[in-house]
Amino acid sequence: MPDGHRPVHNRLAVLRAERGLSRKQLADKLGINYQTIGYIERGDYNPSLELALTIAELFRLPVDAIFSLRPMTPLSEEIFREPPAGTASHPLAAAPRPPDPG
Amino acid sequence: MNTTITSEVEYLPRSRRRLLVAVALAGYPVAVAALAGLKHTSLNRWLILALFLVLLLPTLIALFVGYRYARGRIDGRRARLDERDLALRQQAYALSHRVLAATLIAATAITEIYLTSGNTLRLDANTFLPAAMWVIVYLPALPSLMLAWIETDQPADA
Repeated sequence: MPDGHRPVHNRLAVLRAERGLSRKQLADKLGINYQTIGYIERGDYNPSLELALTIAELFRLPVDAIFSLRPMTPLSEEIFREPPAGTASHPLAAAPRPPDPG
Repeated sequence: MNTTITSEVEYLPRSRRRLLVAVALAGYPVAVAALAGLKHTSLNRWLILALFLVLLLPTLIALFVGYRYARGRIDGRRARLDERDLALRQQAYALSHRVLAATLIAATAITEIYLTSGNTLRLDANTFLPAAMWVIVYLPALPSLMLAWIETDQPADA
């Protein structure tokens, strides 16, 4: 974590793995050095607002789906979590769930 | 060969890098102090010179490693510096300034105490050379050494 800063948690590694991108490929798309991706993923470097927005744009996700001041919960847990009463659930949560193997 | 050295230097863990920086910073003053001490002994001049060079060798190696580690990020030889490189460079320059200020203040204070104690200081080529060499060697190398000191370990490739 950078000195004197709150840790910024992120899902960059998960999103990169989902899209089958190496650090080098992602870095080339973002116009930064590949080591910087590793430092961001590890939480050793907090990206600038401009870089965070560029990353969000690249993954077509809102910034707060990628970066957060609170520890990230697994995406699957977030998608299938019961929504508070009166709010719409995530479209994926409405999809039929696979049968329980047990 | 060249790529191998660069790659090995690039992935040096911070603890080892810090050890090298300490060797680079302390090596030259130690070698000069040893030379000054050995001059007053009956040892052969060539042996004294050889000992001085042996003491200087780790410093030169450490300076070389520090310079290679920076990989052009300090002197701007690297074509593209991203925002993390620029932030790191700024931190390295700021730390270099603090180290330089502390060294100059300490050197000035020691000299002042020495002179006010009734001693005299003769400034000639022999006494000025170590100081001149320190400035010539360390001033350009200090930001690279500080970058090697502050940067955290490289993330493993994935």
